[in-house]
Amino acid sequence: MSGYEKPTPRINPDNARFWESAHEGVLRLPRCKACRAWHWPPGPVCPDCFSDRIGWEEASGHGTVSTWTVVHKDWFPAFKADIPYAVAQIELAEGVCVTANIVDCPADELRVGLPVEVVFDRVTDTLTLPRFRPRRG
Amino acid sequence: MTEALRDKAAIVGIGTSRFGRHLPESQLALAAAAFKAALDDAGLERGDIDSLSIHIGWPLGVDYDQVAQAFGLEIGFVNQAWTHGRFVTGSLQTAAMAVACGMAEVVACVNVLSFTRERDILGGPHDFEGYRETGGTHAETPHYGLTAPAGGAALAMQRYMALYGTTSAELAAVPVALRAHARLNPKAVMQEPMSIADHQASRMVVDPLRLFDCCIVSDGAAVVLVTSAERARDLRQRPVYVAGMQGMKAGRDEFIFAPPGLGINQQSGVRAARPAARDLAVYGWADIPREAIQGLYTYDAFSPLVLFVLERFGFCAPGEAAAWVQDGCIGPGGALPVNTSGGLLSEAHVAGWNSLCEMVRQLRGEAGPRQIADARALQWATAWGDSVILRK
Ligand SMILES: [Zn+2]
Repeated sequence: MSGYEKPTPRINPDNARFWESAHEGVLRLPRCKACRAWHWPPGPVCPDCFSDRIGWEEASGHGTVSTWTVVHKDWFPAFKADIPYAVAQIELAEGVCVTANIVDCPADELRVGLPVEVVFDRVTDTLTLPRFRPRRG
Repeated sequence: MTEALRDKAAIVGIGTSRFGRHLPESQLALAAAAFKAALDDAGLERGDIDSLSIHIGWPLGVDYDQVAQAFGLEIGFVNQAWTHGRFVTGSLQTAAMAVACGMAEVVACVNVLSFTRERDILGGPHDFEGYRETGGTHAETPHYGLTAPAGGAALAMQRYMALYGTTSAELAAVPVALRAHARLNPKAVMQEPMSIADHQASRMVVDPLRLFDCCIVSDGAAVVLVTSAERARDLRQRPVYVAGMQGMKAGRDEFIFAPPGLGINQQSGVRAARPAARDLAVYGWADIPREAIQGLYTYDAFSPLVLFVLERFGFCAPGEAAAWVQDGCIGPGGALPVNTSGGLLSEAHVAGWNSLCEMVRQLRGEAGPRQIADARALQWATAWGDSVILRK
């Protein structure tokens, strides 16, 4: 972790598979083995049918921006050099919303409904953050 | 069932410290000033207080055990919730229920926030709430740089703007109206006039929220004393009754800073044309229809929250609030004045208890130049769906 000053996610038994998968370059999401619903955030039971049988399946990595913001204030010193940067909620093709940065996108192209795809950013030896960029073509 | 509690509890005393920025007093000292003022207002002694209801704990505020110890109280019932504005209503409701059922005699709701001293708690490295494994309490996601509560309000407003075509200049009507109220309140921290042009010139903080869409960061305390209606009749002030209540909503279609169905977090993205019955239960409990509400008081940490509460409680339809608040509708003398002491946006951030104190002043007829004519019924309500109606 040396040199990485930004906050890192807390990894617990419910979400560990997500972060392990991301570090392997795969976007994997929890999906109920009983009712087949995808859900987010990860948890111990299916919020749709309350089953305990939660599996993890590879997601398409495609989605659209459901909302976004650009941060201009340096609340957190480690992000100061990145200002302004974009954070969005992405409605994935699987139907759940995840939060991540939008990268490789001029600020004036950010909009609700923008098609995006996942990219993987290995920030430390043990942590990879999924981010999203506009989907071209 | 609910009607059984109608008018069974009353607010009998209010007190505030001074409000300001970088005040030298400790949190306990500010709380003590407000506590003494509330006792004096009610005509009660320190020994009459047997219960505490608190939701802004240490370090931003004070914990119940600190208050009891420091003020020499003998306490037999306590409610303490998260250090969040979202628990204003629950804190007051718990006090009202406790006195109505006989669990408590006089509850002191003790509220103090020293934001300027504890500044790095707000979105900075010491704001640990964002690290919650299932997501931050206002959709914070610190590893992606979304570290402050304002980010959640920004995400909600951005989508609202995309859905309904609302502009920042329209949103400006909210802080402009609240500043107009504040200028009638000498206690308000913000006294400079604010125009829509001033709002548009203020710097972007977290798009689409500008500086003037965000509440002020201040220090101050407010204490509200609650007792049974029966006991209230023997005290110094004319009682202000808790006429009706409804609780906070939670679930997958809820996000703290958005109306249901807006499509934030795991919300459905499908908004109902009108509020559900459970979103309007407070009016039935109070036996006071929405049309009889003469002023609305709400948690206005960010200006979009005012739009969202208006829609949530059906004062206007989904997508119509920004148009509805134009032309002074929520300002002094408007059709529905909102947060007449200036709210969190312009008076002080005492988590909304400054606005609850203002409701009591209005219902007693003590609001001076900002008095709502013949105020009889006022509503406290939030974007997350809880509410208390107070009446004289
Ligand atoms: Zn299921």
